[in-house]
Amino acid sequence: MTIATETKAKLPPSKHEFAEVIHRLEAGGAMLPDTPENLMQIIGIYKAYAVPMDFYWRDLLYIAERVFLDPFPFFKYFIPKEYLDLHNHYAGDDADLRIWRGEATAHPELLEFMEKGETFKMPKLLHHWLHDRVNMEFAEECMRSMLWHGRDMGWGLFDSYLDSDEYKANADKAIKAYFKYNPVMMALYKAFPDLFLEQCRQMSYYSNLGLFWEIMAPVFFEMSDIYDEGGFKGVPDAMNFLVNGIFAIAGRPIYHHVYIRGECYEIIPKSKGFMWLYEAALPYVEAVFYRTSPFRGTKSYNAQAKQVPDDQKDFHYGILYADVFPVGTAGIPPTLLMQDMLHFLPPYLVDYYRQHCRGENDMLIQLGITFQRSMYCVTSAVIQALRTALLYPLDDPNPKHLQANRAFFEAQINRFKRPEARLRNIQAQNYR
Amino acid sequence: MLSVLIWVPILGAALIGLWPAAIPASRARLGALVISSSLIVWTVVLLSQFDISNAGMQFSEAHPWIDTLGLDYSLGVDGLSLPLLALTALLTWTAIFSSNESVERPRLYYSLMLLVNAGVVGGFLAQNLLLFVLFYELELIPFYLLIAIWGGTSRRGYAAMKFLIYTAVSGILILAAFLGLTWLSGSSTFDYNSIITAGLPLTTQLILLTMLLVGFGIKIPLVPLHTWLPDAYVEASPPVAILLGGVMAKLGTYGLVRFGLGLFPETWALVAPGLAILGAISAVYGALTAIAQKDIKRMVAYSSIGHMGYVLLGAAAATQVSLVGAVAQMVAHGLILAILFHLVGVIETKVGTRELDVLNGLMSPVRGLPLTSALLVLGGMASAGIPGMAGFIAEILVLQGSYATFPLPTLICVVCTGLTAVYFVILLNRTCFGKLDNNTAYYPQVKFSEQVPALVLAATIFFLGIQPTWLLRWSETTTNAMVATVQLNVNHQLANAIAPTRSYEAKIQLKTPIQKELILTP
Repeated sequence: MTIATETKAKLPPSKHEFAEVIHRLEAGGAMLPDTPENLMQIIGIYKAYAVPMDFYWRDLLYIAERVFLDPFPFFKYFIPKEYLDLHNHYAGDDADLRIWRGEATAHPELLEFMEKGETFKMPKLLHHWLHDRVNMEFAEECMRSMLWHGRDMGWGLFDSYLDSDEYKANADKAIKAYFKYNPVMMALYKAFPDLFLEQCRQMSYYSNLGLFWEIMAPVFFEMSDIYDEGGFKGVPDAMNFLVNGIFAIAGRPIYHHVYIRGECYEIIPKSKGFMWLYEAALPYVEAVFYRTSPFRGTKSYNAQAKQVPDDQKDFHYGILYADVFPVGTAGIPPTLLMQDMLHFLPPYLVDYYRQHCRGENDMLIQLGITFQRSMYCVTSAVIQALRTALLYPLDDPNPKHLQANRAFFEAQINRFKRPEARLRNIQAQNYR
Repeated sequence: MLSVLIWVPILGAALIGLWPAAIPASRARLGALVISSSLIVWTVVLLSQFDISNAGMQFSEAHPWIDTLGLDYSLGVDGLSLPLLALTALLTWTAIFSSNESVERPRLYYSLMLLVNAGVVGGFLAQNLLLFVLFYELELIPFYLLIAIWGGTSRRGYAAMKFLIYTAVSGILILAAFLGLTWLSGSSTFDYNSIITAGLPLTTQLILLTMLLVGFGIKIPLVPLHTWLPDAYVEASPPVAILLGGVMAKLGTYGLVRFGLGLFPETWALVAPGLAILGAISAVYGALTAIAQKDIKRMVAYSSIGHMGYVLLGAAAATQVSLVGAVAQMVAHGLILAILFHLVGVIETKVGTRELDVLNGLMSPVRGLPLTSALLVLGGMASAGIPGMAGFIAEILVLQGSYATFPLPTLICVVCTGLTAVYFVILLNRTCFGKLDNNTAYYPQVKFSEQVPALVLAATIFFLGIQPTWLLRWSETTTNAMVATVQLNVNHQLANAIAPTRSYEAKIQLKTPIQKELILTP
């Protein structure tokens, strides 16, 4: 509050369309209004998101490191015990940096759900066919978004490294080792090397996203625990926890290792120095929160219909822009994510949803909008983190510095001037 | 047996309306539902006992009432009235079921609903012309009150009064025609079966038939006698609109066939070409006006005018196929109009508007009204005559049966079935598809009980579309017999026409295609 007063004293009010949001950011707040209801919603949904995320990152790494280029990866969503027991580097007693005070292995609620699903205990294959499982389709869609938008976003060096000779040589070694005893695939590789290379790049993004979410899952678990203990007083507290977390783990290496017959092939070695913040977090936010791509059935890909822009940079289909109301139409990935989160909602959030709109019957949409609110909070954390890294403190005494901060905030918020952006909606509590 | 269908709702109405203590709305509704359900059961019993090979009246009841007036309490049912009885029973139950559970003045409301049922059923059963007029008028006042008290907006008083004036004129014209018919034919009674018009001069018959046509034409309604309809249908609450369009309008078409065709078989052929053209005009007018509407209830109301045009065409052609098709169209139209009005009512209740420009995306599976939208699509398809549903069977029979007699009006009606698809595509596209507005789309969920009437009607529409025998078998024998009477009488007329005493009569008679066909037939 002190900061806000000082900032207001030194700068005239912003004339931006979202001046209220700008002032809130300048006061150290988030794009999301600071209300107890918003805080309860975002923390609750972080918890519900973190449990399937615990599955996502483990499976993403399993696919990147073990399944790799299997031409028939029928069982890629069947995580072996080894990966369920894989220790998260940011939870448990042996953590590199203990963010969550819980266990390093798979979350107990996740293990319970994997066993019983929504129905009852039955063979894993039946759960899979019945879609009574954690849906990896959403995670893969995120990965593909990062891969597809990677070239165009200008963040970091990871993506350009995928085109380097060094990467190609490393990939070539791994591919040859992987298909050593498979002459058909080896012949295909010789005939169409680029095809295999592109698949290998995709695997590198599997690893990238898996390593990104390995951190986010314990972050969200810990936020939920702190909230349950009465630790957060408002949305800015939650956002600041995220900002601090981002800086604490910004340097975590992003790499891609493949294990073939017990031997590790370092396609992207840790020694390349790719950092979590620049090579995973920021590309992820840009690709997934802002851009992604229109899901089949929601937009016409017919060029004449002009419903999809020509340039990738003009894509704005991410969660910050998504129309969540029609979600559920065609089993599109965001719906599957909401379905995943539905299984792990904390009781207070279930009660909250029951009191609004259609109660249990439209919980999928209510939680989708909560998710949208929560991602505006995460994006606020990223914006504040970037401001911290690139610009000036919020309580900087120099008005020019404050003006530079404001210009930065306004530039960021300009992206939400688009009519489909939900920033306007989330300012009101009755958007649910 | 038949009196039960009249007296149970009347006594039920009295019981609900005059119950000494104040009863809650739910009790009144339950009582009305029990009574209407018992009427359905009784109608099913009638159906099971009905001899479909008998063209004449069955289950007849006759009791002298006021002999000096020639008024008897004379009831009977045949293949023409039986399907309409069944339709009335089903739609009365539907209307009561779809009524708002917290309707104001529930005792009066449900009493009036049951009185409407009694009046319409009495009209279908009456075998005495005066008795018919009594029942015909009986449902007038309840309908007026139902529109005036429970109507939608401030215009409901205007709509109710307009309805009252139009239909009162209709009643007066019909009464005058019946009085003239009885007195001029020298009959001492108003008994339907005793009246023979054959001896009346052609001009007299034409005048009397024209009065009946205008009287029933108002009730149906036919263009240009229709102007009360949009106001009444739109201002009436959906359950009342179901009874207005699904049941009361059928009294008009029934009267047209029963008394127009039945009592004036000789003259019918003379007016038939004009009726066919009127039918085609109604179909075109209804369809084009529906296309121009922005209010979905008004759109459905105008579609009703269009579809009644097919009934008129089928009745005018009076061939075996077209007449059975016309009866089938009465039933199909009643069912389809009822489902559409019910669904429009559900949408209005939940969304708060009927405006096409505001409605959007209701098919959305979680936040929209998906089942209501799906049923609306089904209702639209049925109305457009998509195969597999009752509307198709009725329309194809009318069109096939009428083509040989009146090719041009039939072809115009064929085009109109296409136009029906046009306005329903507009309705469905704007209402059900597209995106929900994030700022406004917080509609309450449609409860299962609110879907039940539409589900029952949809199942019936499907069943009769897939198993059309159950739509046609009841009326085939009766309508065939009516057609035979018309042709027999036309032959008589032709015999006279060969040596005409008045040349203009011969010219008129020879213009009708039926006659041309008969001249060529040895």
